[in-house]
Amino acid sequence: MLEIKNLHVKLADEDKVILKGLTLTVPKGEVHAIMGPNGSGKSTLAYVLAGREGYEVTDGDILWNGESIIEMEPDERAAKGVFLAFQYPMEIPGVAGLTFLRTATNAVRKKRELTEMTTPEFMKFVKEKAAKLNIDFEMLKRPVNVGFSGGEKKRSEILQMAMLEPTLCVLDETDSGLDIDALKVVSDGVNALRGPDRAMLVITHYQRLLNHIVPDKVHVLADGRIQKTGGKELALELEKSGYAEFTGKAA
Amino acid sequence: MTVQMLSTKAEQAILASFEANAAKLPGGAAVAALRRAAIGAFASKGLPSRRVEEFKYTDLKANVKDVLPLATGGGTGDAATSLGAHFGPEFAANAVVFADGRGVAAKAGVTCLADTLGNAPDWVAAALADAELSASSDLLLNTALFSDGAVIDIAAGAEVAEPIVIVATATDNAMTALRHVIRVGAGAKATIVEIERAPEGSGARQSSALTQIAIGDGAEVVHIKVVETHKGSLHLSHWQVNLGANVTYKPFQMTLGEGLARNGLNVLFNGQHSTFDYGAASIVHGTGHADSSLIVDHKVPHCTSRELFKTVLDGQARAVFQGRVIVRPNAQKTDGKQMAQALMLSPDAEFDSKPELEIYADDVVCGHGSTAAEIDPDLVFYCTSRGIPTAVARGLLIESFIGEAIDKVEHEGLREALGGIARDSLTA
Ligand SMILES: Nc1ncnc2c1ncn2[C@@H]1O[C@H](COP(=O)(O)OP(=O)(O)OP(=O)(O)O)[C@@H](O)[C@H]1O
Ligand SMILES: [Mg+2]
Repeated sequence: MLEIKNLHVKLADEDKVILKGLTLTVPKGEVHAIMGPNGSGKSTLAYVLAGREGYEVTDGDILWNGESIIEMEPDERAAKGVFLAFQYPMEIPGVAGLTFLRTATNAVRKKRELTEMTTPEFMKFVKEKAAKLNIDFEMLKRPVNVGFSGGEKKRSEILQMAMLEPTLCVLDETDSGLDIDALKVVSDGVNALRGPDRAMLVITHYQRLLNHIVPDKVHVLADGRIQKTGGKELALELEKSGYAEFTGKAA
Repeated sequence: MTVQMLSTKAEQAILASFEANAAKLPGGAAVAALRRAAIGAFASKGLPSRRVEEFKYTDLKANVKDVLPLATGGGTGDAATSLGAHFGPEFAANAVVFADGRGVAAKAGVTCLADTLGNAPDWVAAALADAELSASSDLLLNTALFSDGAVIDIAAGAEVAEPIVIVATATDNAMTALRHVIRVGAGAKATIVEIERAPEGSGARQSSALTQIAIGDGAEVVHIKVVETHKGSLHLSHWQVNLGANVTYKPFQMTLGEGLARNGLNVLFNGQHSTFDYGAASIVHGTGHADSSLIVDHKVPHCTSRELFKTVLDGQARAVFQGRVIVRPNAQKTDGKQMAQALMLSPDAEFDSKPELEIYADDVVCGHGSTAAEIDPDLVFYCTSRGIPTAVARGLLIESFIGEAIDKVEHEGLREALGGIARDSLTA
């Protein structure tokens, strides 16, 4: 279970406060969606979950399976099952995709006290996962994300997720940039990971994604706090009414 | 009245060393005269100081305090040990070894200069007397003191499949000077590798290696140098390159360690439609200093030059890249590009990059770029968020940075050997 309690976050180098007492619980086995206006702090929440530097937690806590993770390094969190699919995946020139995937997969397996994969085992595993996501295997020989289209980058994120077998999946606007077919493929990939042991937090601007990845709950994040929580029909309402109600409240 | 510049203790010691060794150095009367003229010119110029543009950041006059005794032979060495762990037996089988300044392990197709000097072929004699080499006092010094070197003559049209390897080793506390003279005939293909190692644990060494290579029309040559320095070691390398027409010449230089190394490279385009495709990777530690100074002389039209220089610096290490590109008035359609990049692992490291484009023709495309940056923390986060520990992530990013240069080496065995050497140096 993910428990975010009264989370206050500011930028480490500036006075800007972004999250102002955010409270949210995602039980295992559930998928929760977060929607909210631009600049409301959705990506910040995702980064703070993954452990990015540059943000300071000034109050509150984040518990994953009962354990506070806010002091942990990003790689420790990854070993504990935390995975963030980036809104803007990064390009790593000079590091081949396969090398990256293999280093990550085995690093995580090692920390989870699983045996590291041999080359043939790894190749079989990655080929299988790539095929399911319609990713051309040749692409993985290229440097990580370099020269990938926006949609290819998003698919590459989901491939990494499938390889690392996380238990807390945070997807930050994974749908933006995907064409209609790719949206289906990626959603199938995400749905394949749904299970009683996994919790998912799906950040999106579009109700359409939630037709494919049907959420148990939808939260509205505005002005650094969860302003409203509802079922999947809340996404439909927001599509009509927009965020005026919440930003108005915030002002 | 002649004004004599006050010479340093080191310069005086060099002159004395020459007098003490002159009789032992190989060569007949003509070579002896060449040496005498060179040391005379050296005496008036002295060691290169920062006032000499090519040594702006590597002031030998100030840095060289002591002069080690000149070694002119008597050493031992076998190829496998001298090459180190990363070069497999296929390289050792094709290696000629110079120990303490004299060839000890021969190889078919390579002659030792010391053995041929008494009766040197005209092209070798002409190369040794090349007037271009009298410009700089580090080269004059090599002419005065060289005790041996490789002579390689590749016939026109020959395709030499295996890399020809030249390895130099020396005992501690010795100075050595080697001169390699290479001629590649028209249409020939060859790969030449020079290795100069002062591995971890070795003591003070001073070495000079001057390679002259003349490449005939349509030939394809890959030329690699690995310089491994250690605290207290000094290596002065210089390549003097003459290209014919339609030549593809791909030099790659890797410099590692904590010592002082300078790689000079002068390339002259003498024939049209030739390509100079240079790559360099250096990994400098501690108080090490590695200087790569190039002069690329586009004397004729329609030639291409590319330079990619990459360096990783830690501690108080310093790297220098000077890329001087001259485009002569008639060298129209010259295409020259240069990039120098440093990855700074420490705030005390220093990178001096000086591109110098001297363009006298109007229809040319020339450009250069230079960057010095730290490891991108966003990329480290991306890796660590995938479970990769920070140290491993940094290693991966550093390796990929330097790997972009090493990837220019197309020969798989060589590329892997260079990658292995780089990894060792990065994890040292
Ligand atoms: N590192 C940073 N430096 C400066 N400002 C930042 C930084 N990170 C976040 N912010 C600011 O904090 C606010 C929240 O940003 P965040 O990226 O979390 O928004 P978001 O909800 O993900 O928006 P979007 O829907 O556009 O992706 C914005 O005003 C943003 O400019
Ligand atoms: Mg965002």
